[in-house]
Amino acid sequence: MKRAKAKAAHARLSRVQTGWLAALLLCAQFPLWPSVHPWVAVAGTGLAILRLLPPAQRFSSSKLRGLLLPALALIAALGIRAQFGYFLARDPCVEFLYLLVSIKFLEARDARDGSLLICLALFLAVTQFFYAQSLFAALMALPVVVALGANLASLRSGAEVRADWRAQVAEPVRLTLQGIPLAIMLFVLFPRLAGPLWGTATDTAARTGLSERMAPGSISELSLSDAVAFRVAFVGPPPSPRDRYWRGPVLARFDGREWSALSRLKTGNLARREGPPIDYTVTLEPHGKLWLFALEHAVGLPHLPDEEAPLRGPVSDIAFLTYDQQLLARNMITQTVRYAQRSALRASVPALEGDASDNLRMPPNNQRTAAFARDLRARVDSDRAYIDAVLSWFHSDPFVYTLTPPLLDRDPVDAFLFDTKRGFCEHYAGAFVVLLRAAGIPARVVTGYQGGEMSLDGDYMIVRQSDAHAWAEALLDGQWQRFDPTGAVAPSRIERGLGAALPAGEPVPYLARMEMTWLKSLRLHWDALNYQWQRGVVGFNVQRQRDLLREVGLDNARPVQLAVAVLGVAIVWGLLVLGLSRMRGAHVDPELALWSRACRRMARAGLVRRPDEGPLDFSERAASRWPQWSTAIRSIGTLYARLRYGPEREQRAALLAQLRSSIDALPGAQRLRAQP
Amino acid sequence: MSTITASSGWLAHWRQRLWRLAPDDRDPVVLRHSRIYILPTRRGLAVMATLVIMLLTSMNYALSLGFALSFLCAGMVAAALLATFRNLAGIAASPLVAGEAFAGGQLEFTLSLASGPRPRTGIEVAPRDGRSIEVDLPAGATRPLRLAVEARRRGRQALGRVTASSHFPLGLWRAWAYVHFPLTGSVYPVPEASPPPLPPGHLGSDARRAAFASDAELAGLRDYQRGDAQNRIAWKAVARGAGWYTKLFEGAGGSGAVDLDWAELPPSMDEEQRLSRLAAWILAAERETRAFSLRLPGAELTQGQGAGHRRAALIALALHPNT
Repeated sequence: MKRAKAKAAHARLSRVQTGWLAALLLCAQFPLWPSVHPWVAVAGTGLAILRLLPPAQRFSSSKLRGLLLPALALIAALGIRAQFGYFLARDPCVEFLYLLVSIKFLEARDARDGSLLICLALFLAVTQFFYAQSLFAALMALPVVVALGANLASLRSGAEVRADWRAQVAEPVRLTLQGIPLAIMLFVLFPRLAGPLWGTATDTAARTGLSERMAPGSISELSLSDAVAFRVAFVGPPPSPRDRYWRGPVLARFDGREWSALSRLKTGNLARREGPPIDYTVTLEPHGKLWLFALEHAVGLPHLPDEEAPLRGPVSDIAFLTYDQQLLARNMITQTVRYAQRSALRASVPALEGDASDNLRMPPNNQRTAAFARDLRARVDSDRAYIDAVLSWFHSDPFVYTLTPPLLDRDPVDAFLFDTKRGFCEHYAGAFVVLLRAAGIPARVVTGYQGGEMSLDGDYMIVRQSDAHAWAEALLDGQWQRFDPTGAVAPSRIERGLGAALPAGEPVPYLARMEMTWLKSLRLHWDALNYQWQRGVVGFNVQRQRDLLREVGLDNARPVQLAVAVLGVAIVWGLLVLGLSRMRGAHVDPELALWSRACRRMARAGLVRRPDEGPLDFSERAASRWPQWSTAIRSIGTLYARLRYGPEREQRAALLAQLRSSIDALPGAQRLRAQP
Repeated sequence: MSTITASSGWLAHWRQRLWRLAPDDRDPVVLRHSRIYILPTRRGLAVMATLVIMLLTSMNYALSLGFALSFLCAGMVAAALLATFRNLAGIAASPLVAGEAFAGGQLEFTLSLASGPRPRTGIEVAPRDGRSIEVDLPAGATRPLRLAVEARRRGRQALGRVTASSHFPLGLWRAWAYVHFPLTGSVYPVPEASPPPLPPGHLGSDARRAAFASDAELAGLRDYQRGDAQNRIAWKAVARGAGWYTKLFEGAGGSGAVDLDWAELPPSMDEEQRLSRLAAWILAAERETRAFSLRLPGAELTQGQGAGHRRAALIALALHPNT
């Protein structure tokens, strides 16, 4: 029962404690496996497991210990530096921390090392959310909390205690459950920031999505991904599949092989609406770039969805429109954003000054294409007829739409158009624009997404990376007009998506296939859940916080008032938690309480019971001090002694009542003191 | 002892309430919120600092789940605060026994802890200068708790303020409460290491030898202890191989009573040396089962024998006022 106080801080870690630390480390490391480099994942987890192999103190006690941590940490840092080419950025630091916790664990010796490891692992656990904030990621974080509590419990109880592991889990789980109301309140009320506190390093390598460059193969690579690019909830009915062109980066510069964006910081004018508007809300997954996607053509600027006034005018606080009709956010999209947008399928986009000259430049290679274009243009009488001729050539010649085109070298457009005739949308769009420019028609490549799948209950549309697409835009009669050469080659790509357009045997991502299997339906259900998750939890930001506060009528509350409210709720929570576990003061035997009351009263009147004085002795002394109440005082002493030390179990209630009435018979301290 | 009364004022009242520096606690003391302090431990501070860093990271990168994880952990830390408080709250402590010891030894005080309706884990009870004791209590249990304090100087020594603390369940918080009972033990003077033999008793040495020879006065045997006089050893028993015993003799007359008198000690000895000598002689007389009387300036014990007498004599030495 008793044990000498262990100097816990310097006691060696027991096997149980080491085991718990390992569990915490693995819980924190595991969700990062897909995000870190494979060698880091293997080395980190391997080192942690190495520590568990007997003998337990292998590394902690030897002379190696002093060298182990610095040496391994240096190796890890150098390795990561070599892998990334830089070190002081988010991702290399996460990988370094991943390795560091294992290295520290390898040489961990006492409870202080345990504390440090707990803190490091806890922080490592939060870094997984850099890469994924899905429902799954949230579930993966829960074991971390339990392991944290278990570690703290086992470190507290000391190395020599072999407590039941279930007890060490049960207590932290109970505490976590008790803390949940407080956690929810903090989650909802804790102030969120609109922008970062310090500059977030540009770590975009891990994200899939469109880029500002388009080389042969860049979009087809993207098409292999099932990842969600964004989701759209329409106010009215969604547009038909053939009209689902989601405009993204516009590429106008061609170096003979690769398309890239012109770096112009010019704002443009919104397209003039010529048909009914389409209103919708986009939930965009973070892609680390500035683009916001909108259905062609945007006739309004995106703005934050406001429940009360769904769609406002053209003033936007989150984005602006460039001269080439791209929507660019003011900040990098590093978190999920929701924005409301208005588009129209029929709209006119007038050309700006300089558009024509910017979109005619050609590098000197691909001469066969240029000659072919000049020849074809000479045979028709108008630009529009020429475009039709090119499209019908694409359609009639044996062009193949494929995800796996052959590699093309020096003159890729020449080789594609006249030799291989096998390509993906970027090949067709690129070659098409080259053909137009060679014939003197200003044209540019537009990348984005084409398509989108409705969710099972039709609430929203999912646009995936596999819907990534490239098409072309030509300047005809002073207006920019869309042409999609892929549609000429593989019309089903536009109508029914990638899975329908590709020949059998191509590596189409699972969800882009046409068949509706139970697995696909399951995935769609899962996506619906994730969508709610993204909207409700992950997407809970400044703006949604403000909305929520307005709903509960706290929108005008000053920060001080909010802090007071939080404090109040916290106090109520504390009292509830204490009350739930039957905190009704301490249990004191009733006779003891009554006796103490009598003693206190007499003490105030100047007669203090000596510590060594028994109840009978004291009541005798008190009786002689106040002879007029001696009966009551003596009976108090006797009754208390009988209740406390006597065998009467049955008469307790009656004796207690007598004791109480005797004490009541005793006058108050003032009157007692007044007695001579 | 009555520092709480109005004469000392409001400030003294609060000082006592906060620090419990005066031994004013009456039994039993129930640890309640008014007595219990709670602060984070070093580990608690480290974990909270980590949570703050996690929160800053979540704010910067707008990681909603980072917020969620941080707040979930913060909720656990807050619940641990309440659990730590609850583990200490409601314990009733009462003083039981104040011990006695020779100076330089361990003075033992016994308190009792009652757990009340809840089980208690890892309650650490520490006297101000002495080893702390950690104890677990099941619900409804009352346990005696022996606190050993170093006996410093001859005289009365108070237990002083006792700290009951606990960092159950997670070691993130430490709750503590002060209890200060008026519990005072007695510290005897250190017996002189090699004292001269006892002063001669009332009987002559021949008579004593005769008394030893007479088996008629033998009252019994007890286990031999180191230091017992050789002529008291029951050699017959030793020879039989039955073990080592010491013969006990009945009555004061058997061993020759001695008078231990402060005034008869050499005048060169100072006060504490005299007390040490007397303490050593009291022990010697007890060992030799000789009755003794003790005369101190201002105190006198008539001739007597046995544990009670010895204790009374040692306490008289302990309480001898310093001049």
